Amino acid sequence: MGVMFAILGGVLAAAMGGVGSAIGVGRVGRAAAGVVTEDPSKFGKVLILQILPGTQGLYGFLIAFLLMNNLKLGSAEALNLTNGQGLQYFAACMPMAIGGLVSALMQASAAVAGVGIVAKRPEESGKAIIFAAMVETYAVLALLISILAMMNITSTIA
Amino acid sequence: MAKVKMKKIEVVTVLEESKKVFDFLQVQGVVELFNSEEKPGLSPLTTAQTALQVDKYLDTCLTALSIIDRYAPEKKPITASLRGLPEISMSEYLEKSEKIDKTLSYCYDICSCEKTVSDTKVSVARLEAARKLIEPWIDLDVPMRYKGTDTTAAFIGTLPADYTKQTLETALSPLIGEDVGVECEIISNSRDRSCIFALCAKDNSEEVFSALRTLGFAYPSDATKHPPRVRFDRIGAQISSEEEKFQKAKDKIIALAEKRDEIRFACDCFKIRRDKYAQLENVCVSDFVMVMGGYVPEQKAEDLIKKLENRFTVAVTLTNPDETDSVPVLFENKPFVAAVEPITEMYAMPSKQDIDPNPVMSVFYYLLFGIMLSDAGYGLLMAIGCGIAKFKFKVTGKLKKTVDMYFWCGIATVFWGALFGSWFGDIVPRVAQQFFGVADIGVRINTALGFELFHGVADNPGSIAIWFEPVNNPTKLLLYSFLFGIIHLFAGVILGMVKMIKQKNIIGALCDGIPVMLLVVGIAPLGANIIGGEGTVDASISGVMIWVALAGAVLIVLTAGRDSKNIIGKLGIGLYGLYNAASGWMGDILSYSRLLALGLCTGVIATVVNTLGTIPDSKAAKLGLLVPVFIFGHIVNMAINLIGTYVHTNRLQYVEFFAKFYEGGGRSFTPLKTDTKYIKIMEDK
Repeated sequence: MGVMFAILGGVLAAAMGGVGSAIGVGRVGRAAAGVVTEDPSKFGKVLILQILPGTQGLYGFLIAFLLMNNLKLGSAEALNLTNGQGLQYFAACMPMAIGGLVSALMQASAAVAGVGIVAKRPEESGKAIIFAAMVETYAVLALLISILAMMNITSTIA
Repeated sequence: MAKVKMKKIEVVTVLEESKKVFDFLQVQGVVELFNSEEKPGLSPLTTAQTALQVDKYLDTCLTALSIIDRYAPEKKPITASLRGLPEISMSEYLEKSEKIDKTLSYCYDICSCEKTVSDTKVSVARLEAARKLIEPWIDLDVPMRYKGTDTTAAFIGTLPADYTKQTLETALSPLIGEDVGVECEIISNSRDRSCIFALCAKDNSEEVFSALRTLGFAYPSDATKHPPRVRFDRIGAQISSEEEKFQKAKDKIIALAEKRDEIRFACDCFKIRRDKYAQLENVCVSDFVMVMGGYVPEQKAEDLIKKLENRFTVAVTLTNPDETDSVPVLFENKPFVAAVEPITEMYAMPSKQDIDPNPVMSVFYYLLFGIMLSDAGYGLLMAIGCGIAKFKFKVTGKLKKTVDMYFWCGIATVFWGALFGSWFGDIVPRVAQQFFGVADIGVRINTALGFELFHGVADNPGSIAIWFEPVNNPTKLLLYSFLFGIIHLFAGVILGMVKMIKQKNIIGALCDGIPVMLLVVGIAPLGANIIGGEGTVDASISGVMIWVALAGAVLIVLTAGRDSKNIIGKLGIGLYGLYNAASGWMGDILSYSRLLALGLCTGVIATVVNTLGTIPDSKAAKLGLLVPVFIFGHIVNMAINLIGTYVHTNRLQYVEFFAKFYEGGGRSFTPLKTDTKYIKIMEDK
């Protein structure tokens, strides 16, 4: 049962991060496609903006993978968790799950606005990237807390 | 090694030579013109009309170029864009630009041929539609308007159903009298329409007509005067004549594509002229002289003046800019540093007070980039790719800076990747273990070498990390990330102090710089012990450091409010300053945790790729799967992480580093120059 809680946490981290990123990348892609119809030479600039909200999906994936590693899932020495320990892992995954989902959506909004900058003032596209990247900080912080919490839980169990 | 010192230059020349002088300045490309003041007897030139006209010519040439590129694409190797532009001497340029009108007429030809091509395409489509309408009637050998002879009536039209001669007669017979004879002929029929010809005696015409109407008979909308075959053939002839025109125009465009290089030259030539006329607005003339003023980099000034005075009748004065002048900024750095100039330019050009951030920034840029990408394999690919572009193709201009930057970033990535033991993820230990059954490759190499090269073996005997593996020890890398962050931020603070000292604000430099650094240095060991657990920093050190932090805090409270008039204001602003310093620095330092996060991200996904590739049990299947998975997976991982790393390295520079000292708001130096795309004009020897 404990293992199930832990896996549920990992699943949520990967899924919510992925959902956020998918929606985000899709949204920015739509705006970017509009700009490219007008001026195909801006493809490179808007592509970077489109990829920005995609990292949350990667971070969620990273957490799920680290969790599987920590639990040694699928190997002979897989950890056997109590409910309490399982819930600890579940909680450790939550910052990434929630932070990833919300920050991906918000980052997408900033990136869509940034696509507007690229369309009207392409010389300022660096600033558009920075605006969107500011949001990323909170995804990085969430990722970090999730990683550190997971490492600490594993070290107390083992 | 920094911002170039600018001088103001004023050139006065006689009108007869003014054109040559101006062209000369444009080729030199070292003077940025500003609007010369109007003085009695001097009036500005109005060249906007001419510039507009030249712009139209330029547009025609560019359109012509894009047309011939579409009809006769040029075959060139991918590497062509990396090679430099063909060089051409000044005299050759002038000679060729005499013939530019001829080239322009080719361009007009190309544009009008393109118009013919699109027009004929439209009319062919229109004619083909008309021909399609007449097609069902083609077997009718009388005109479609044929009404019959003196004694007979003919009906030519369509019925909205599929009839044969027989079915039509059967359908008609109940509708008309027994004695009424109708001769029907089906010209053509399809599923929902039949073209018919019906003939009857003139006396019965009304009866037959109403019977036909009952079946849905309709006259054709556009009946022919001649048998339909005649119109069909006529349209066919029109189509082939249009097609001939189309082909001729197309052939002409393709033939004119030979002039591609000439047209490219014309594009550059018109561009140069357009820029010239746009800039001539800044120049003042009297009846005899022309006056131009501009900024010139100091080290270029002497050479320029010498050349001007040798060749032309000119009077040149060189002065220092005033405080009020908006002097443009130009960087001049060694290639290692110059590579990051575009990054700074993307943020803002330095203001008058700012010092050039590039020399300090470049080192940090490469190192921070390396930690975040953190895979030696990817770094090696970058360095090799950029090295080839750099040394083999000798790229120039802005592209060279970008290539340089990624080259050094690649080298730094190899450095960090080797420290962290990541070469395309864990491919080395994994292959050693999966294919050769060696689980402790790191230990074995260490033993073979006779000294401990790979310290990562402490956590994992297969590790080839020279320092340690972040996945096994994230807290350690987190602490080091904060340490690198503190060093980076301190560099920013010190640059801020240097800037203030340059402005003779020594008290400001000491009060704003030193206390906050003391505070951070003092608190850091405490923070390290909280994150890394007790004993990360020895208690004897952290004990002492508390007092350093305290001293820093007291100094901040005492100095932050130094500009305030009364004692309460001083204290209040001082306390607020302490709060600001503490919270601001905390956020700034935490921000460097992305060094760990992004580094782990690259490494873990690379490991996943390798894991996926080695799932099967048999070695042959493993190898077969590993090769495609390895190539595809690592290309994708590298691409995604390159973009992420680039963005986050920029952010650390802009938001954390620049905030400590950099104002920005300057204007970059945009000299009058020959901004060409296809040729490079060289000065005559």
